[in-house]
Amino acid sequence: MQKFFSFFVRHNAYLLLALYCAIASLCIKLQNDDFMTRLRTGSLEFTAYLGDKLMSYSYLLHLRKENERLMLLNTDLLARTLNLETASIDDRNRRKLMADTTVNASRFIMARVVGRRFSDRENMLLIDAGWRKGIKKDMTVLTPAGLVGRVTAVSEHYARVMPVIHADFKVCVVSDPTNVMGVLGWSGGREFTAQMERVPISSALKLHDRILTSDLSTFSVRGIPVGRVERIVPDKLFYTVDVKLAVDFSSLTQVLVAPLKIEREKVEMSGDNAVGEPLQ
Amino acid sequence: MTKKLSLNIGLLCIISLLQIYGLSRLSLFHVSPDALSIFLAFLAVTVGQRTGMTFGFAAGTITGLLSGNLGLNMLSRTVEGFIAGYFNIPENSHATANQKSRRLYGAVAISSFAANAIFSIGYNPLGYSPFFRIAVLGLLETILTLGLAFLVNRLFLKKNLSD
Repeated sequence: MQKFFSFFVRHNAYLLLALYCAIASLCIKLQNDDFMTRLRTGSLEFTAYLGDKLMSYSYLLHLRKENERLMLLNTDLLARTLNLETASIDDRNRRKLMADTTVNASRFIMARVVGRRFSDRENMLLIDAGWRKGIKKDMTVLTPAGLVGRVTAVSEHYARVMPVIHADFKVCVVSDPTNVMGVLGWSGGREFTAQMERVPISSALKLHDRILTSDLSTFSVRGIPVGRVERIVPDKLFYTVDVKLAVDFSSLTQVLVAPLKIEREKVEMSGDNAVGEPLQ
Repeated sequence: MTKKLSLNIGLLCIISLLQIYGLSRLSLFHVSPDALSIFLAFLAVTVGQRTGMTFGFAAGTITGLLSGNLGLNMLSRTVEGFIAGYFNIPENSHATANQKSRRLYGAVAISSFAANAIFSIGYNPLGYSPFFRIAVLGLLETILTLGLAFLVNRLFLKKNLSD
């Protein structure tokens, strides 16, 4: 026993280090656990509240109101433009649109960006709309200029957004007018250039083609502008495509949140539940 | 003793908030100076390795809760305090103020670089290559932190170190 205690006293710094590391490792392992998610949500609310208070000093009252009025106007115009553009693309491809998923996109929720981190330690946006305003996880965040990102965490009054310029962000996109599909992601580097992957070398993609979100995306409504093709480099099987993003992330102040795309049946069909029988 | 502990806890909370809301906005190539590293190094150098490590763990908890990346922050800050503890100056040391300052800078540089490397391995939101993230940005962050440590030492810490 005495040996154990003398060992403990002699090596207690290492034991303490092991204990702290074990707790930290446990937190890393359980980061998607219910309790940890609740903890994160609580801290998000607190962080966003403080950030909001700090930022609000920099806003002039009437300038803020004018911005909100213009944003409302933009919301309306964006909804119309999206509908018109989608209809026009459909018409050109002579496809009948039986289940238009953009119908749900006519009612956006407006939010203000209250926090922005773009560093090697954190890369996210905080918006001042939470579940009280109807925000849910995986909703699409956009501006009239284009796609901003996806909601990843929601608290009562705030939500955390993973921007397009995050290494983990992916979205299915399609080019207009060549209708070439691909997956858009950002692999670091310049903040205004993303990469479109899985574009076969046989495709008809051209420089300056517009890139829009596709109906294949599991979270985003289709037809949201993402950017324009800036560079196409052929590889063995696929093109390496650089896309100049439509949104300027350095000057984002207001965003819109599109309603959640509800396609339960589609998700279930593409998952393990697809057994050829009608789903409940 | 209790008074000093309360003061250190208070300082830890203030510096954590300052780091999250203030210094993280002063970024150069997406890295910013780390005031918490300086505080942890100072504690570990003047008080001891266990104190540095415990305060590191607490600092990681606070910054982790505020940034949403709890485990990794805890781990990197704990290791930071632990490494800085190797630069501890014993109470009965006869070292001069300059020698003590040099130990503090050493603690800041090594522990900050190590903590940054651990964080980089676990989380890389800007999609940089591991080498660039650890070696280049880690080094840049260490230099910025050392610059801040130099300033803080000149203004506030030198007197404490020479006591």
